[in-house]
Parts: sequence; C-alpha cells; structure tokens
Amino acid sequence: MNYETVIGLEVHVELATNSKIFCSCSAHSFGTDPNEHVCPACCGMPGMLPVVNKRVVDFGMKAGMMLNCDINRVTTFDKKSYYYPDLPAAYQTTQWFAPVAVNGLVEIETSKGKKGVRIKQIHMEEDAGKLVHDIREDTTHVDFNRTSVPLIEIVSQPDLSSAEEVEAYLERLKTLLRYAKVAECEMAHGTMRCDVNLSVRPEGSDKLGVRAEMKNMNSIEAIKRAIEYETARHIDAIENGTEVLRQETRRWDDIKGKSYAMRTKETAGDYRYFPDPNVMPVVIDDEWFDSVKDSLPEFPEVKREKYISLGLSEYDATRLADSIAIAECFEDAFKVCNNAKEAANWVISDVTRVLNAKGMTYEQLTLSGKALGELINLVLDSKVSRANAKKILDALFEDESLDPVKYAEENDLVMSNDTGLVDKVIAEVIASDPKAVADFKGGKEKAIMALFGKCMKQLKGNVDPQTLRTMLIEAINKL
Amino acid sequence: MYTLKLETAAKARVVADDMILTKGVATAAGSKMLQGFESLFSSEALTRLENAGYGLCGKSRVGEFALDLMGETAFDGALVVDGVLKNGAAEVLSAKEADVALCLDVNGSCRRAAAQSGLISIKPTYGTVSRYGTVPVACSGETVSLMADSVEAVKKALAVVVGHDDKDGTSQSEALCDSVLKNDGTVKRVAVLKNMLVSIDADVKANIESAIEDLKKNGIEVEEIEGGNIAAAKVAWNILMCAEMCNNVSRYDGVKYGHRAQEFSNLDELYMNSRTEGFGSFLKTAIIFGSETLSTDNYMKVYDKALRTRRIIVDEFNKLFGEFDAVLMPAVSKSAYTVKDIENDKFMAFNENFYTAPASISGLPAVVSGGVQLVGKAFSENKLLTVAKLLAKEGK
Amino acid sequence: MDRETLRRLELLNQLKLTEDEKQDVLSFFELREGEHKCLEAIDTENTERMVHVLPVMTVVREDKVVKTFEREDLQRQAPETDEGYWCVPKVME
Repeated sequence: MNYETVIGLEVHVELATNSKIFCSCSAHSFGTDPNEHVCPACCGMPGMLPVVNKRVVDFGMKAGMMLNCDINRVTTFDKKSYYYPDLPAAYQTTQWFAPVAVNGLVEIETSKGKKGVRIKQIHMEEDAGKLVHDIREDTTHVDFNRTSVPLIEIVSQPDLSSAEEVEAYLERLKTLLRYAKVAECEMAHGTMRCDVNLSVRPEGSDKLGVRAEMKNMNSIEAIKRAIEYETARHIDAIENGTEVLRQETRRWDDIKGKSYAMRTKETAGDYRYFPDPNVMPVVIDDEWFDSVKDSLPEFPEVKREKYISLGLSEYDATRLADSIAIAECFEDAFKVCNNAKEAANWVISDVTRVLNAKGMTYEQLTLSGKALGELINLVLDSKVSRANAKKILDALFEDESLDPVKYAEENDLVMSNDTGLVDKVIAEVIASDPKAVADFKGGKEKAIMALFGKCMKQLKGNVDPQTLRTMLIEAINKL
Repeated sequence: MYTLKLETAAKARVVADDMILTKGVATAAGSKMLQGFESLFSSEALTRLENAGYGLCGKSRVGEFALDLMGETAFDGALVVDGVLKNGAAEVLSAKEADVALCLDVNGSCRRAAAQSGLISIKPTYGTVSRYGTVPVACSGETVSLMADSVEAVKKALAVVVGHDDKDGTSQSEALCDSVLKNDGTVKRVAVLKNMLVSIDADVKANIESAIEDLKKNGIEVEEIEGGNIAAAKVAWNILMCAEMCNNVSRYDGVKYGHRAQEFSNLDELYMNSRTEGFGSFLKTAIIFGSETLSTDNYMKVYDKALRTRRIIVDEFNKLFGEFDAVLMPAVSKSAYTVKDIENDKFMAFNENFYTAPASISGLPAVVSGGVQLVGKAFSENKLLTVAKLLAKEGK
Repeated sequence: MDRETLRRLELLNQLKLTEDEKQDVLSFFELREGEHKCLEAIDTENTERMVHVLPVMTVVREDKVVKTFEREDLQRQAPETDEGYWCVPKVME
C-alpha cells in the first residue's frame, strides 16, 4: 500500500524589535550576561502592568500581509497558564481568541511543481526565558533575558506532505519575513524555531492518522531527517504492528537519528486560556492598517521580473531576488552605476566571495549598495583597475562609511593617465630584464608575462591592463 | 492595625493598605508567601500623593490578597476588637493616625469597613486611577480606592490620584480622567434596588431608611424599583475574581522571591511545598475554584457565561442611569462581623460581596457614606460625592 | 466536583491540600455550583462577553528601550541565585 505523510508546522519567529512586547527591556538577548535585560515585569514580580509595544503589532500585521492573511482589525491577548521555571509569571500572554492574522496562503515550489500551503493563523506572544543546565550538576540556572521578547507563531494547516515541501515552506517563510524586515529568521540563533506535527495515512484516505508532535526543532536538516524517520516509523507501525502509535510529543535526537516519546505530566496541555484583562483589545483603524500596508516591500517574484526586464539572466535575477539584503544592495548599486549587468556581477560574484570568505550570510550584509555603485563607476570610467577595485571592496566591508572615490585617491589606487610615467616604467623594466625581452622576441609569447607583472607592480596596478600590454609590446617591438 | 508604622513629618498623612506596593517598605498582601517582600517601586497612586505633599504613615493590614470579608485571612491573624473583625486602614483612620487611606478594592472589604466604621470611601471609575504598583488579584475589576473620615479628605486625595498613566494599559485618557473631577455633581433622582435589600439586619435597614429620608429632605427624588440581574453580580464576580486571582498568584512559586519551602527534592516539590506552605486555606480553596472555572469543560459554561452576565449587568446599570443619578444599596448585611460569623461560615466573603460585587464587576464608581453605598454612572464621582456629603454623619 | 478532579486541580495548581481543606473545597464547590444555576437562568445568547468594562481604546507604546532596574536589585530577595542566574533544582528536559 502507498502512504502519504500529513504535516503541519508551527513556526515561532522572534520579531526584530528593540524592546520586549509588554515592557521596555531590551529585546536583544543573544550574547548578553544573564538577567541583564530584565525588570520586575519580566521576572514575574507583582505590580507592573503590560503595555503593548506598537512595533510588535506592526510586525505581526506585516507578517500576516506577507503571507496573504486576513488581518483581524480587533486583535486581543489572552493568558495561558502553566508552571515552568522559564515562565516567571507562570503564564504566557499570547493570542488565543482573536489572533492578529488568519486564513493565509503561502506558495511553495518543489521538484513536483508549485503548491499552496494554507496558513491557519499568526498570533503574537511573548517568548519564554532560557534554562542553562550545565553550570552545576544539581541545579538548573534561569535566565529571563529572553522572557517577553516578542514572537509570532505561524500555524499552517496540515498541507505539507514531504521533507522537501517542508524545507521549501520554511525557506519561503524566511524569504518573505526577511523581505518585510520583521525578523532575522536564523534557526541557528533560535530566532526561528519549529514544531512539526506529523501523521501518516493510506494514500487517498481522508481520515488523519495518529499525530506525533516534535517540538523546538532548530535546523532544517534536522527537521528533514526527523520527518523521514517519523514517516518510516509510522508506516512500520501501521504495516507491521511494531508499536502502537499514540498522539504524543516526541523529542528528536539528531545525533542518534531517532525520536523518543517525551515524558509528559498528567496536567500537560491544560492551559486554562482566558482573555487578559490588563491588555485592552488592539483596534487597528484604517490609518494604521494602511500605513503598514504601504510599507510592504515588493514580493521576490516582482523583483525577479523587474531584474529580467533590465536584461539579467533568469538565473541571476533569481539569485538576486532570493535575499532582500542582496536585492537591495544590487538595486542601490544599480541606481548609482546604471549598469545592471555590472552591478549584478559584482553582487553575485565579488560580494558573495567576500561574504563567503568571512563566513557571513547574505542577511548579515551591511555593505552600502550606493558605495558599491560608486566603485563600479570608478571601474567603468577606467579610473580604477578591476584588481584594485576588489581591494577597495574588501576595505568597504571593513568600514561601511568609506567613500570609494576618496579611498582610492588616498591609497594611491587611481589609474595613471600619465602615459609618460608608464613609458618610463616600461623602459626601466625592459632594461632590467634583457633575457625576457630576447625570449619574447624569439617567439616565447609567455615571456611577456614576467615583464608585464613587473610593470604592473611598479605602477601599483593603476593602469588598464590592456593598455599596458599594448604599450609594452610596442616598446619591445621598437627596440 | 498596621503591618508597619512609619514616621512622617507631612501635614497630610496617608496609610496604604498591604496591597499597595511601597518602594523599600515591605508589602506582603496579607500572605505568608510575600512576608517581607520589598517592591523596587511604589504604586503610582501613592507616588502622586507623596508628590502632592502627603506622607506615608504606615501600611495597614489586609486579608490574604484582599479577597476576604474583613482581614480574617491575614497570615498573622485577624484584627479583632471585642470579638468584632476590624479592617486595618479603617482602624488607623478612626484612631486619627492618618488623614486618608489608599486601598485596593478587590472584593469590597474596604467598602464594608467604611460602612461599618462610619467612614467615607470611594471606589473611583475603573481606569481613572492607575493600578501600577498594586498587587494584582482580579485585574478586570479591582480599583485603587480611598477612605477617610470626611468627604473633603476623600475628595482632596481623589483629585491627586485620578489621572491617565502610560504605565497602565487600562488607564483611561487624560480627558476622561479629568472629567471625573469636572462632571456636574447635581443629583435629582436616586433609585433604590429592592432585590439588593435582602438579608440585611435591622441596623443596616435603618441606615438605608435614614439615607432615603436624608435624600428626600434635600429635595432628591427616591424611587424603589426592581434590580433585575444586578443581583447576579456576586455569582459572576466570584467566578471572574477567583479565576483571575488563581492566574495572578501562580507567579508565587518560591523561585524568584518570596517564601521558599525548606524541604524539596525536585522542582515540582519546590513549587508545591512552597505554595502549600505560603498560602492559607481560604486562598487555596479560591485558587482551586478559580482554576476549575477555566477548565476546557467549564470555560464556556461558567467563565464565558460570567463575562456575558457582566455585560448584562453593565447594560442594566446604564439603563438605570438614563433615569437616575445614582443607585442606593447596602454595602454590608450587618453592622459588624464577629469572629463567630467567620467560624460559622469561613467563606462568608463570597456571600457578603452580594452588595459590593455589582460595582466591582462593572467598574462603576461607588461611594460609601452614612453606612450605605451608592453606585453611579462611569465618571460621575462628583454626583456620588454630593450624595456622600448629604449622608455623612459629619454633615448632620 | 469529585475527589479525582480535586486531585488533578491540586496538581495543576501546585498545591497539596489537607483533608480539612479538601472538605472545604468540596463544600465550597457545592455552594458555588448551586449559585451557577442562577446564571444559567440569565439569557446571554445574544450578549457579547465583556472582558473590559470601559470603552475600548488601544493603548500602545513606542518601541523604545528603557533600562529601569539592576539585576542585583531584582535578585536581592531571591531564595537562591548563582552567577547572575535564578536557581531551581535540576530540570530534566
């Protein structure tokens, strides 16, 4: 019999705000000393009251619009109660009754073609703190820096059916949320986390199988492996009766490549949701709604088409549009140099080369596209050689505020228009290496390379290579 | 009567009850769980009073999380004078050791105290006094309230504490807060709700009758009418209050601050033993009850039903305020609570709040004066204070 | 309300009741459940629930960081801290 896997995802994304969702503590917890970004509210002391961070609602709406959701114009917050040391008030403020966005649709593309994945809802909520288990053997250490950092949870319908689709879906979410600039979405940093709900059923059946939930998956590779493992486990159980499937929460051990049923408390899941009396409903009026709508970026597909119409290949256009950071760098450079192919080449090959060398992702790109455009102009105007332009690019990565023109001048990287100087250098080099000159004259074409190199070195690269080559050959031939 | 007495050189002295957080001065909310707890900041209302020249002269006793009848559930015992239960703040005022008391009205205990001690109290419109810096219990209805021995003293302090506060997300706009002090105070018609007069003893009945007399003498029309569903406020409020309380006190677990049990061998035991030792029996019962109203099975039937009933009550009140300037009702069933009353029914607070719950659940302003209570339209404090003045013993 | 439900509620709320307290709870529930009948009599079919008693108005704040309290002060009253962390008995995850 053939089986199909039915997968729904709950994706938590940390929003890139400055402050926390209900208090004014810094929301940047990564790499900070423990409990430095904490106040009485986010360590569970009595007396402080939650006041909603407007940008969290902006970002929640924006995410909803990017994923084609309907926005709830009156959105409310609710309390979810449970005891755990990372939850200092023993309740999490989340959205249960009226989440900010509902009924969305995300289109993904896999080897099987295009497919729509329905989004059930997106809700805003506060993150929990962090537990550290390895400082002392008998003690768990609690850090509330991450407590109340704003999250959105994106809940999909069970529309996914393979690891490949899940990967495409997660990549699509990343691209769209990064386009909207609402989140970093870096699984390795924990700014994107994923719960996978999976069941297996005979193909064509409309009844769902027994569901397993895998929580807090933190890499796409691990998710893919877990899905493949779970699918096989479920089919094995159904076909061979190897075990009785239960609806349960499972932990994925990526090192062992296995999943385990988690021990759950008797009271687990009894969250006693109720509306938070301290947070008034957030009413999104037309003005607010429109201002968020107007701030939406172009979608990747729109950019791609635009790039193709500028004369770029489909491949290049896709590469540029895949990441908002790269797309914007390209567009800014293009605005300055007005040469789409040059700008695309620089971004795709040279900028990428530097990023790779530094071990940075596209999202970490801080290079100013405007500066890159100016640099490209220097090359196009034959003011700086390509080789020296690459040196300037390296310098731009070190210091984003650099002005390429000034930098070129100050560091003696401007091409020489002084043919007298070039003639003088050529004469000196020819005189210093009669053997190479003789070899070249004797038909060894390669011998010119040594002479060329010496000239280039003396001229510090500030000469157009083609011009130098022509002048050098002319000079030798005149001998 | 105090949990802590303080010296102050200020001319106007304020006593804050043990639900009002005071920076550097312990606030226990009547609970062993918070014994000795010092807040890092003070309540906004107290800060405003201090900025206006009031001096804090002490913290007064309350029952555990201000949920009880008259302080009987305080972890270190009730305040009893001659077999009668007394409220800390009211005693401090009666002893003339403070000019005004700042209280958190969760379940009506300060209104009951004012009624039985011949004091004036006002529970302002919900959202007009910041709740920043109060121990949260039943946030959808609890209100920072004032008590004093004269209408003037209450009015003076009210003018200081009323106002918008950005630190409280349920705080009303500055304009609406301002209106509390500016709205017309003329009172022409007062309603008496017949079905709110049940189970009252002769003294309370006499207070009501004398209040009606006083009003009529001052040319105010008084009409007795049926109270409709307003009498259901108690049942609905008990549900909402206990559920919210259960959620709010779940933060007390022996980890961040507060009481931690000596004996435990794992996390669950730490939680369970700390909470079991830190909370009193009365509170535990209310926690269990509140928790159950929110269970999946009960949510729609019980909790959601109470939320809908709240709207019905508010709508009925507002309909009344189309015709009347205020509604007169008792604040208590009897003129004093004895220790014996509590021994007979330790959960008396959940019945006695029959009289206080209508204003609690609806967020409407209420005054107590001359041993009776008047509930008014939102932001109509001036009208209530007009009546309070007529009924106050001082005015006679 | 029965003993089994009560046991579950104790667990859920991290409380351990004495036998007397259990009796209290059971009789308390009996009273309250009786009262709830009076709510059932009220027709709320076409009534919206009311969480907030006053006219709704959105209160939001700007996304600005304000550091108000020091860790040292926040942890001064903690039963147990270590290296800037609050501490609990080892949690198995």
